[in-house]
Amino acid sequence: MNNLLSHARRARGLLLPALLVAAWEVASHQGASQAYAFVPLSVIGQGLTELIRNGDLLISTLASLQRTCIGLLIGVIAGLLVGAAMALSAIAERLLAPLYHMLRQVPILGLIPLIALWFGSQEGAKLLIVSLAAFYPMTLNTFEGFTHIDRRYREVARVLEWNTWQVFTQVLLPGALRSIANGILHALAFAWVSSVGSELFLSTGSGLGNLMMNAEAGARMEIVVIGVVCIGLMGYAMNQLFSRLTRHLLRWRDI
Amino acid sequence: MNASLDQRWLASTSHSPGALQIRELSKHYLLDGQPMEVLKGIDLRVKPGEFVSIVGASGCGKSSLLRLIAGLESDYSGDMQLDGKAITTTSLERGIVFQDHRLFPWKTVAQNIAIALKRSPLTRQEKALRVAEHIRLVNLQGFENAYPHQLSGGMAQRAAIARALITQPKLLLLDEPFGALDALTRISMQRELQRIWVQHRSTMIMVTHDVEEALYLGDRVIVMDARPGRIKYEIDVDLPHPRERHAPRLQELKEILLTELAGSDADK
Repeated sequence: MNNLLSHARRARGLLLPALLVAAWEVASHQGASQAYAFVPLSVIGQGLTELIRNGDLLISTLASLQRTCIGLLIGVIAGLLVGAAMALSAIAERLLAPLYHMLRQVPILGLIPLIALWFGSQEGAKLLIVSLAAFYPMTLNTFEGFTHIDRRYREVARVLEWNTWQVFTQVLLPGALRSIANGILHALAFAWVSSVGSELFLSTGSGLGNLMMNAEAGARMEIVVIGVVCIGLMGYAMNQLFSRLTRHLLRWRDI
Repeated sequence: MNASLDQRWLASTSHSPGALQIRELSKHYLLDGQPMEVLKGIDLRVKPGEFVSIVGASGCGKSSLLRLIAGLESDYSGDMQLDGKAITTTSLERGIVFQDHRLFPWKTVAQNIAIALKRSPLTRQEKALRVAEHIRLVNLQGFENAYPHQLSGGMAQRAAIARALITQPKLLLLDEPFGALDALTRISMQRELQRIWVQHRSTMIMVTHDVEEALYLGDRVIVMDARPGRIKYEIDVDLPHPRERHAPRLQELKEILLTELAGSDADK
């Protein structure tokens, strides 16, 4: 009985998606034009089998994923450095903060034409877009983390006569870790979205975005739908994975 | 057996003196551009190994005095010396226990205590040994790997005391160390601190607003008055340690002290 209940509780999150799929299927049976806009599930199923057989889905997903990971890495490292510098050095803050806060207001999409002009539409340009998307939230959260360190812990460090490095590794870094993890979580989401987004705008190379663009050109709406679902599922999976990892690493927290 | 080991270890390392001499100490803050006197003309001598309690109403500057001795505040006028050396900044010779335990939440009890030895030249084994000794000293065996949020208030404060003592300071400053604890825990912590002090014999200065606590632990109790903070009255507690909490002599002294403290209220 209890088992049944816990299964039911876990399945609650699937209720809305299931309803959505059902509504979709109903809509697809309301005439030919509807069947184009809302591809019947059976057609989507066929498309999926095809994509899995010829390896397109795997190759596209891996390409998008790889770009996300590399861009995320660059963005996170740069964000950590800039965020920490702005928080810990008044000079760095005065120097960097205005430019950072100004640039951050511009949507990445708005930068794509310029980036394409300067760097072309190859992988490098896409990586730059992904890195930037990850960099903004990372910098902001790192900055927040380092500026909100409890003064009382710094006093303990003073009493114990720690040097700057010890203060950094023993007080500042662990104190900012929660915020930093939050930053990575945001950066991950932005990196994934902008990785696929960059493919939609710069249509060379491979990736889920390219797959969808090509499918649209060939009027294969079922593949577009598969692309959308795939992007959503992958993003969700990465988010869950990282949240769990964070919770494990920060288990000393009183929550 | 453990107790004798503790005794030997501690005895071998804490025979250093810890004489504090404060002359004409004054301190003021700027409040809206106006100087506000926090402490005025404090004169205080503390003998090595002595336990001095400081009581007073809130705002009498007793915590400021302690922070000055710890070296956490500067810009004072007057003279402060520990064993003849002027106090200018923080030093491992002066340990402090705050009212809030201030353990690092991301470290376990053992790590929180060991972390105080960061600047120590001891080898890894010596440090581990000393951490174990101090965990035993404050009766936290079995909680070495607990995180601060898993501890009760009293246990966390014990860990904080161990962290402050492990560097073997000549002088230990206690800033209302049991102020945030419930009454029962406070009484047992006072007994613990008395035992630790008898065992450790370093100089201790404790700020509190609990008169009973001040008398139970102190060789001497100093009453401070507010605006500006100054020493108003001093009383010697001529009873040997360890003490009986309900000793008639402590009751008598308590009456005297309360009268002194109430007098300072009536002045206002």
